[in-house]
Amino acid sequence: MAVFRWGSSIDAFRDLEREMDRWLRSVNFSMDGVRIGRQYPPVNIYELEDEFLLTAEVPGTKADDVEISIADGMVTIRGDRSDAATIPEDRFRRCERPRGAWERVLALPERIREDDLHAELTHGVLTLHLPKSPPSQARQIPIVDSEPPAGSNEAPGQ
Amino acid sequence: MSEIKSTPERRPTPASLRTPSKRVCTPPIDIYEDQDGLVLRADLPGVSVDTLELQVQDNKLTLFGRVSTSVPKDAKLIYQEYHVGDFLRSFILSDQVNHEQTSAKLSEGVLELTLPRVTQSEPRRIPIRGE
Repeated sequence: MAVFRWGSSIDAFRDLEREMDRWLRSVNFSMDGVRIGRQYPPVNIYELEDEFLLTAEVPGTKADDVEISIADGMVTIRGDRSDAATIPEDRFRRCERPRGAWERVLALPERIREDDLHAELTHGVLTLHLPKSPPSQARQIPIVDSEPPAGSNEAPGQ
Repeated sequence: MSEIKSTPERRPTPASLRTPSKRVCTPPIDIYEDQDGLVLRADLPGVSVDTLELQVQDNKLTLFGRVSTSVPKDAKLIYQEYHVGDFLRSFILSDQVNHEQTSAKLSEGVLELTLPRVTQSEPRRIPIRGE
């Protein structure tokens, strides 16, 4: 362990921070990937030149069980996974997979051509294509000259 | 009494299963009992039949699912809640599970493993002959 002097105490803290980071990285979180307390389903958003891609991990969900709607700049994805519903609770030895109905509402990054949305579901990953709308034409805003005609703003009584 | 135990991932995993550059996730699982034995279900979104490996060695069952991203290479990640990575998890099967009869099925990113119980041999009466 390095001994540090007053003059270099900040550096010592940096060392400590670095050590902590290194240690945290080396810890093997065996629960990593088991999603507890997080929103379901987890979502990633990617940007491409002409569209956004929203991907969500929805294993065990059929395309018929997913509903996507868009309104007011928000996209809503709704679904249900009920593949374990018929199994009595006391039969379970281990139960980690999320279940039941879910809903996510996400704000869209910018203007989207709402008529051209399409989505696909492959191997339990939902991909929603959100094509960007073309940049709108710059529009000149006319400015009305509201300066009153000369002579009318003379203070009365002069 | 549990016939199947989940083992925390200990390094090293089998060399053939390692992908050094990518993140490895532990998939969530359910295990439940039915008339014939145990059923294990694991969530493996993005894994197809061709990219899933199931291996039984001694008593250890290892599942490894390779995930290939469906997103084009030039896509820029702007918001992230999950990591795209391969799935790895292993289990210790007890002697009460019939290893030979294990079957697996993968649909919509969910693996279902059927682990039948070993059929108990019937008690056999031993005849005693008098002198």
